[in-house]
Amino acid sequence: MTESRTGRQGPDIYTKYYLSSTKGVRTLPESVTREQARKFYETMCTIRCFEESVKRDFLNGEIPGFVHLYIGEEAIGTGICAALRDTDLIESTHRGHGHCIAKGADVNKMMAEIFGKKDGLCHGKGGSMHIADFSVGMLGANGVVGGGYNLATGAALANKMVLKNDTVSVVFFGDGASNRGTFHEAANVAAAWKLPVIFVNEMNCWASTTPYRTTTAVENISDRAKGYNMPGVIVDGQNVFEVYQAAAEAVARARRGEGPTFIEAKTYRIEGHFVGDPELYRKKEETMEIFHRTDPLKLFKIQCPEGMVFEQEELDGILAAAKEKIAKAKEYAVSCEYPDPSEFLTDVYAE
Amino acid sequence: MATELLMPKLGLTMTEGTIDEWKKKVGDTVQKGEILYSVATDKLTNDVEAEDDGVLLKIVVPEGETVPCRTLVGWLGAKGEAVPDGAAPAAAPAGAAPAAEAPAAAPVKAAGAYVPATPYAKKLAKEKGFELAQIPATGYRGVVVAKDVLAYTPAAAAPAEPAVKASPLAAKLAADLGIDLGTVNAHGRVLAQDILAYLESTREKAEPAADAREEVKPMSGMRKAIAKNMLASVQTSPTVTFNLSVDMSEMKRYREQLKAREIKVSYTDLLVRFVAKALTEFPLLNCSVEDNKIVYKHYVNMGVAVALDSGLLVPNIQDADKKSLTQISAEVKELAKQAREGKLPPEKLRGGTFTITNLGMYGIESFTPIINQPEVAILGVNTMEDKVVVRNGETVIRPMMNLSLTADHRVVDGSVAAQFLQRVKSLLENPALMLA
Amino acid sequence: MRKITFSEATREAMAEEMEKYPECFVMGEDIARQGGIFGQFKGLPAEFPGRVIDTPISETFIVGGGVGAALAGARPVVDMHFADFIGVAMDEVFNQMAKVRYMFGGQARIPLVLRAPDGLAGGGAAQHSQSVESWFIHIPGIKVVAPSNPYDAKMVLKAAIESDDPVLYFENKVLYKESGEVPEKEDEVPYEIGKARVEREGRDVTIVSYSIGMKNARAAADMLARDGIEAEVIDLITLSPWDKACVLDSVKKTHRLCLVSECVKQGGALAEVAAVVAEEGLEYLDAPILRYGAPFTPIPFAPTLEKMYRVYPEDLVKGIKAVL
Repeated sequence: MTESRTGRQGPDIYTKYYLSSTKGVRTLPESVTREQARKFYETMCTIRCFEESVKRDFLNGEIPGFVHLYIGEEAIGTGICAALRDTDLIESTHRGHGHCIAKGADVNKMMAEIFGKKDGLCHGKGGSMHIADFSVGMLGANGVVGGGYNLATGAALANKMVLKNDTVSVVFFGDGASNRGTFHEAANVAAAWKLPVIFVNEMNCWASTTPYRTTTAVENISDRAKGYNMPGVIVDGQNVFEVYQAAAEAVARARRGEGPTFIEAKTYRIEGHFVGDPELYRKKEETMEIFHRTDPLKLFKIQCPEGMVFEQEELDGILAAAKEKIAKAKEYAVSCEYPDPSEFLTDVYAE
Repeated sequence: MATELLMPKLGLTMTEGTIDEWKKKVGDTVQKGEILYSVATDKLTNDVEAEDDGVLLKIVVPEGETVPCRTLVGWLGAKGEAVPDGAAPAAAPAGAAPAAEAPAAAPVKAAGAYVPATPYAKKLAKEKGFELAQIPATGYRGVVVAKDVLAYTPAAAAPAEPAVKASPLAAKLAADLGIDLGTVNAHGRVLAQDILAYLESTREKAEPAADAREEVKPMSGMRKAIAKNMLASVQTSPTVTFNLSVDMSEMKRYREQLKAREIKVSYTDLLVRFVAKALTEFPLLNCSVEDNKIVYKHYVNMGVAVALDSGLLVPNIQDADKKSLTQISAEVKELAKQAREGKLPPEKLRGGTFTITNLGMYGIESFTPIINQPEVAILGVNTMEDKVVVRNGETVIRPMMNLSLTADHRVVDGSVAAQFLQRVKSLLENPALMLA
Repeated sequence: MRKITFSEATREAMAEEMEKYPECFVMGEDIARQGGIFGQFKGLPAEFPGRVIDTPISETFIVGGGVGAALAGARPVVDMHFADFIGVAMDEVFNQMAKVRYMFGGQARIPLVLRAPDGLAGGGAAQHSQSVESWFIHIPGIKVVAPSNPYDAKMVLKAAIESDDPVLYFENKVLYKESGEVPEKEDEVPYEIGKARVEREGRDVTIVSYSIGMKNARAAADMLARDGIEAEVIDLITLSPWDKACVLDSVKKTHRLCLVSECVKQGGALAEVAAVVAEEGLEYLDAPILRYGAPFTPIPFAPTLEKMYRVYPEDLVKGIKAVL
């Protein structure tokens, strides 16, 4: 009893939400075309295959450093980024491969970066935790938990108040990061000045090894949004359509100059905090049981808006294509060279 | 285990010695008692014997270099044995510690000991080929600083071409021979052999057919010491030489009286005793000059020059004014013997207050002896000859002898020197005054 | 030549740069309505409406937001009120501002200036008087400058704003009020970040300083000159990346080095200068390197104690004479 109380506080809160949320609670946008939906699925499959490949290669010792996987959370990055333009900006996290793929980064160059190769997005200087692709508005993963709020908010400030455009910024963060003071400073400014920034909370129940409930009193992190006079929205993070719709609304709001939105996407961290995490703090069977019930890839078919039908065969084909694409990305990454020693001292300064 | 070879302290007053010659090369087998190297002190060259069997493993102090007593000069040990790295002398020489509290005292440090110096001072000293240990330090905390190096002139090095690196011996040789170091061919540091080779080459050019008529040999340690001391004396003291003729009739008679009683004394012995007596009455002739101060000696250590084939030594008879003639006589004989055998204890060569040098046996009638520093006067003794002299209006024949007194005019004015010499004459001519 | 204060010089630099770059703006606490607590922003909000922004008391946002704004393409200047408060936003400085360019393989460009008023101000005590520049010279990816006079204040700030790299601009609170000659705009000579200046030539000792420390350096050089000792005085101006060649060349000439700054001596900004001279110029030193800075203690409040915290030119003179 005592043991399970501490051990089950993460899944409990998720299960409670998930069981109470029923398909069709939110009105899904009729504007989502079949082609868009197909693209959602394709992106989610790409992320899934990418993460599985990274996991395998990391365990095989081919990837240096440490990696944090997005498996099970694919619908969030996919749904949010689908609502953004290429020129819109995202601030990502250490668990950022999914955001990067969803924002449109080239998977070959991503994989090369994760392998530390010179043809990687950051020429092998960033790696998994500092992956960025400015060409698609991906301003970088951040190795410091909670480091992205101020950057996204500052970017929003510059775009709105100085550069005078309608670009929107998004910052992804977990429930663990929501307890950083930086969140308060950024959220307050964003709301005070009605900055075009969207706070996307991936509420996956675990701050590294610590369950959400043991460190936080509010039931939902988005409950805090009202403290900043900012709309707080809860969505099913396993439902790409629902995430997309919330994002589209928040983006429209931001572009209209009405300020920030807080989106809390309920999800669950399926993998350990990092690849290799012994996960002494929870039970593997329980995690897998949750995964079977909530895998966004599996649920996609039944989450489709009414009248939109995907045959399993088509979906399998998309998954197979994604697998092949990632296999090629891996091949590419392996074939690339490590950075030349001459590049060691470049990029410290622009001048 | 390898044994340290230390610069020996040959007598009480020896503080440093110069390696005159290594008799063994590195790698040579040495037997106990064999001569390893010779050490030159101010006036003496001593051979140093091996105290154990072994192999000369390493020479730390090369020929021509001067180091304090107890400084490591080499290593003796078993064949192939390693020499400890950076091994320090077993006993740090007492005088080697830099006098940190008194930088103004400008102590010259022991070679081999660490010399605190600024990096820039080290760089300059290296460029100029100076030994840091030889440079007086005036910097903060007693450190050798750049200005010390710039102000330093090695005693014997030619002031010109300071940038040429040369061993101390080479520098000295070059200076002695008037050779510009810059013109000497050498691979890197100029060594003594380079100077000799240069000398050879210039000779050939000057007299191409006369190559066998001259020979160049390096000076022995003793020769170098004499050269150095004589030169230093001439450079230090402005001298005047006074000559006076003495009637030695009374001395002759006195000596014969003693002889009749089986007491054999030489004229030198007599002179030692009588001059010592005169010196007690003329303290200015028995002093030394140090830094504008006159040091009066309330004792008479009478030096007696002893000629050897290899040079000249001046052992002294300590407290000659308090010793009996027979004591003096015995001591003079023993010192001369030891000097000829090269076994003179070094302390006998130090601390003299006045010197007598006798060339009478060679028929010399007059000469101008050079003062044995730091003394201020030296008495030259000439040949004794029967001469026709006038006594009480009559011509008579008397054994006459000239005395040649050289005195340092810094402290001994002419009148003082003359009165002293006059006093010596009266004593020799009237021995009864000795008791007066 | 006209004379203006250090504070006015920084204001002129801001105005000229904001004129030149429409994407340039400035944010910080108390800078728009108040004109800055030291008056250094006076008049700017009227000249550039909407581009001089009063922020909430949120240092992590001020710095992090500046980094984000730079990433978005703006040319921000952010003001830290007191340099002491940078600690609040340290992650934004050393993990974000300093790193984003390198760790993203050169994709980012951070034309950001962080202005930080520092130094003893008479009773500011432990949390409003510090000189913290040395923390930042340990961080690759940012540049650190600290001018010592009004003309430099203007030219260095302009160079900092024009730089595409993040620059920490330390401005001493006491210097704000000091006047100095600043040429008209057309006669200005641009400053190149990373260059030191030999302010006074001499052959006996090299005194290196920056910011308010230069007052000590200049005064000590004057006092030494009365005794016939010629000090060479170098104003480092940029602390990172600093002008090694200038200092080493001078030490090769004078063979003595004296370092003075107002910051805590232990681990102070000039400790790096001492280390590099020891590494690369040891053979030219003819005396131990002299260092003058604050004692290893927080800054006291009582005027009597604060007085003891300071370095005086007499200290330098005494030390230099001891090694000549």
